[in-house]
Amino acid sequence: MLSIIKEKVFANERLTREEGLWLLKNGSLLDLAEMAEHVRYRHNPQAKVTFVIDSNPNYTNVCNIDCIFCAFYRHEGDADAYTYTVDQMIERFKAAEKRGVRTVLLQGGVNPAIPLEYYTELVRRTRAEVPGIHPHFFSTSEIIGMCEVSGLSLPEVLAKLKEAGLNSIPGGGAEVLSDKVKKKISSKKGTSADWLNVMREAHKLGYKTTATMMYGHLETDEDVVEHFDVIRDLQDEYHGFTAFIPWSFKPGNTPLEKIIPSYASSTRYLEMIAFSRIYLDNFQHIQASWFSEGKKTGQMALHFGADDFGGTLEEENVHASANFVHTTTIKEMVDLIRDAGFTPAERTTLYDIVGEYAEGQYPDCVLDTARLDVHINADVIMPTIPAGMQN
Amino acid sequence: MLSSKLLRFRDPQLAAIWEKVRHGERLSKDDGLALYATHDVIGLGRMANEVSRAKSGDSVYFVLNQKFEPTNICVLSCKFCDFAVKKGAPEAYEQSIEEMLSMLNPNIREVHITMGLHPDWEWQYYVDMVRRIKENFPLIDVKAFTAVEIDFFAKKFKKTHEEVLSELKAVGLKTMPGGGAEVFSERVRKLIFNQKIGAKTWFEVHRKAHRLGIQSNVTMLYGHVETIEERIEHMMKVRDVQDETGGFLTFIPLAFQPGDTGIKTRNNFTSAIDDLKTIAISRLMLDNVPHIKAYWVMLTAEVAAVALNFGADDMDGTVGYERIAHDAGATSPMQLQKEKIISIIHEAGKIPVERDVWYNPLHIYTAEGTTVVSKMPYLNSVPFYAEFEPSSGDVKVAPLVPHVFGEFAKEGKVDAGPMSLMDYAEQQDEFDMLDYGVAVNGKAYSVLLYSHYEWSKLSGKRIGITGETSTSVNLLRVLLEKKYGVKDVKFERLHLTSSQNDYTHFDAVLLIGDEALRRHKLGGLGTFLNVYDLAEEWHAWKKMPFVFAVWAVRKTVAGDHREAIVEALEHSLAFTKGKEVELGRDHAKRLGMTREELGTYISAFTYTLGSAEKEAIDTFLGEVYNIVTM
Repeated sequence: MLSIIKEKVFANERLTREEGLWLLKNGSLLDLAEMAEHVRYRHNPQAKVTFVIDSNPNYTNVCNIDCIFCAFYRHEGDADAYTYTVDQMIERFKAAEKRGVRTVLLQGGVNPAIPLEYYTELVRRTRAEVPGIHPHFFSTSEIIGMCEVSGLSLPEVLAKLKEAGLNSIPGGGAEVLSDKVKKKISSKKGTSADWLNVMREAHKLGYKTTATMMYGHLETDEDVVEHFDVIRDLQDEYHGFTAFIPWSFKPGNTPLEKIIPSYASSTRYLEMIAFSRIYLDNFQHIQASWFSEGKKTGQMALHFGADDFGGTLEEENVHASANFVHTTTIKEMVDLIRDAGFTPAERTTLYDIVGEYAEGQYPDCVLDTARLDVHINADVIMPTIPAGMQN
Repeated sequence: MLSSKLLRFRDPQLAAIWEKVRHGERLSKDDGLALYATHDVIGLGRMANEVSRAKSGDSVYFVLNQKFEPTNICVLSCKFCDFAVKKGAPEAYEQSIEEMLSMLNPNIREVHITMGLHPDWEWQYYVDMVRRIKENFPLIDVKAFTAVEIDFFAKKFKKTHEEVLSELKAVGLKTMPGGGAEVFSERVRKLIFNQKIGAKTWFEVHRKAHRLGIQSNVTMLYGHVETIEERIEHMMKVRDVQDETGGFLTFIPLAFQPGDTGIKTRNNFTSAIDDLKTIAISRLMLDNVPHIKAYWVMLTAEVAAVALNFGADDMDGTVGYERIAHDAGATSPMQLQKEKIISIIHEAGKIPVERDVWYNPLHIYTAEGTTVVSKMPYLNSVPFYAEFEPSSGDVKVAPLVPHVFGEFAKEGKVDAGPMSLMDYAEQQDEFDMLDYGVAVNGKAYSVLLYSHYEWSKLSGKRIGITGETSTSVNLLRVLLEKKYGVKDVKFERLHLTSSQNDYTHFDAVLLIGDEALRRHKLGGLGTFLNVYDLAEEWHAWKKMPFVFAVWAVRKTVAGDHREAIVEALEHSLAFTKGKEVELGRDHAKRLGMTREELGTYISAFTYTLGSAEKEAIDTFLGEVYNIVTM
């Protein structure tokens, strides 16, 4: 079976679901890597690795979905629950822009107290007042939440956001797209079909999005292949996915920690990177995450099929809530890529190259900006709906 | 030849190197440099993984161990070290032997001791340290003192290196760690550790240790000011000394961490790719060193995990620094560390094997759904494994001597392989026999009784018997009692590690496998006058073949795994037919055998069991039961 699969991969043919499952179960790490490298260089022939200077803040930690793998969310009324106003967010974006940040990946909480206007306003004002920053805002769950809050249909909400200036959305919240798994770990987050539906409607309207997967909890190999299969099918329809990003579940401070005490090893991560590269033959980019897996694992992933090193993540709170903290500087990120044997290339959210950096060269911004440890302090906590935002 | 496998490379330069590797040719300095220069990290890893699998199968070793650094006071001040301090410094500490004993976890098997070069401690203190650990914890083996410390003791206490080493060996020193090697380059030594002994003294100490039966490790500290060329030269120097002594167990690349040393590196850690390359290149360059260690403490667990597929077959161990005894019943950090190591090895697709200081397997941790095939690590078994590539990823191979295979099989942890005939006889309700095995019809050359006495005069004498298999031991008993009518022989089991045995204590010794062949090449065992080939004795007596091992598969092994095993075995036997000499060449070279001797040796064996062999099995087992019930 292995030789049949290898032949197909090297002939640039697509693997069937059965072949994929066999490979995931039986393929050795290095067999996967060998094939993944072939596909990686077919899509991206140069030994170049892209990265983006970005930040992942959150406008609220209030969330009504209660996923058992999450340590970040709070309920309305909790002492450390917060929601920022649009003004506060814009101020933060401006400060980030000054430091050289080019993309903000913004997500909640799914906070039912926030009206649709808050979101459209946030996008519109970001475009108008912080032009150096590309808004990469709102996960599928939040968008579904906006439909519920506003009573509008999904295409209507997406159209309003687009009109406000949004053209890309992050691919988080997919977890494992198998309803069996979703029911166990995020029963209120909706079905696989919900996530796929938002993505499909978004792609139809011309949005670019990423696709993600969080593995290492209650899923089986069959569930993983199902996940890859449905996103590969959707990609065939509109080619709206820019990249695929897997990461491992971090059990710290989550209810799931009791069942899954530690996260999967680097071997499993590299297998996921390589397998995604092989199976997702219609994705141009596979993103390695130094942040979620460790810097050295991030470097290794670049030789296992990944061609992108993700963001500098000036701010991030979700993994941090699970006691999983890695920080970097822009200079270090560039050096990590270089020391792994690749030319670092800065990109936009939509994967356009902004600059390539030869040995000794670095992006023109504050190089030693480390991730800001954002501690929630009392004067920015907004436990209620932002003033002026009530419908 | 190692393998007929053709690998695919992105870097065409690697294809030429693989040709050398798979034909068992030694790599040159230029090859080493080309490997470091390649961008095809996966191709490099695949080569190293193939070599590692040929040596260690899918096994990855670890040991339950603790590390002691009884003092940080050191007369040297090496630039790269942020551990050592001067006497009187606020961070300075000294541990008493009592303190060390109280900190030892009785469940470990190895204690690793290195320390600063203390200006005042007496020689007796070091001797007592080893002696008292051994007296209080007989199961814990002491791996202690780098060459730097041994040389310091010699100078300070006006002894030769040999005296220092023998005195320590006499009180329980078993092996030596490989530290203090840094990089074997005078240029680097002058730059950052000019107070330390150089390569010459380092190797001198280890050579002497090896001659005294103290095996050791060797490290390489990389990622500071050394050049790639210096790394390759370092490996080649190790390779040369290993050719001479064969005493190195493990090569350990250590990733430099700048910490507070003041030595500038680009990031605060080595690149993961440099780490993986260094592991893989060590495996490829050091064709004569048995093990490559991924020392997770310095490499990080994330890189060490992946290194297990890049040529490393050892994860060191639990490395506990436990300062307080744990409540009985509580899960100790060591237990957690052990579970983590086991799960990392499982996820790497390998088999965790808990070992002692010499790499003798103590326990094997087979993952659920995995079938483990035992690999007999002897020259005569090459045809079984040269091309043994089961089609299922869940069928794994672990090298085990027959006796250990038998024990692990009883525990249900190992499921197939060429089983020592006596073990099969004992477990035949659980195992099916295949039509393959190891048999001879006449001389076996590698099952030898070395004796001061003729057969008839062995009555009442002490015979040291191999710990590796019970079949040869039973053959010896049958020959003694039934063929020669000799009774009342006292049998004593030898240590599994040959360097730990003193054969002069015995009237006769029974050796098998590679140890028998090696000793024979070295001109027998000193003063033993008689050398008897047990299979030849049997043949002359019974006019029958003798069967040492039969291939057996546990009855509960899943159908597809069983098929994969049989298919792989038959493929390997068919492939190797007529090529045994070529395939066994490297192995024979390590034993000092000529091509002709190898040819004679290997052609003595039959690997397919026909009716004559099966009849011989019944006859032999009949004789054994006859003795037992007499």
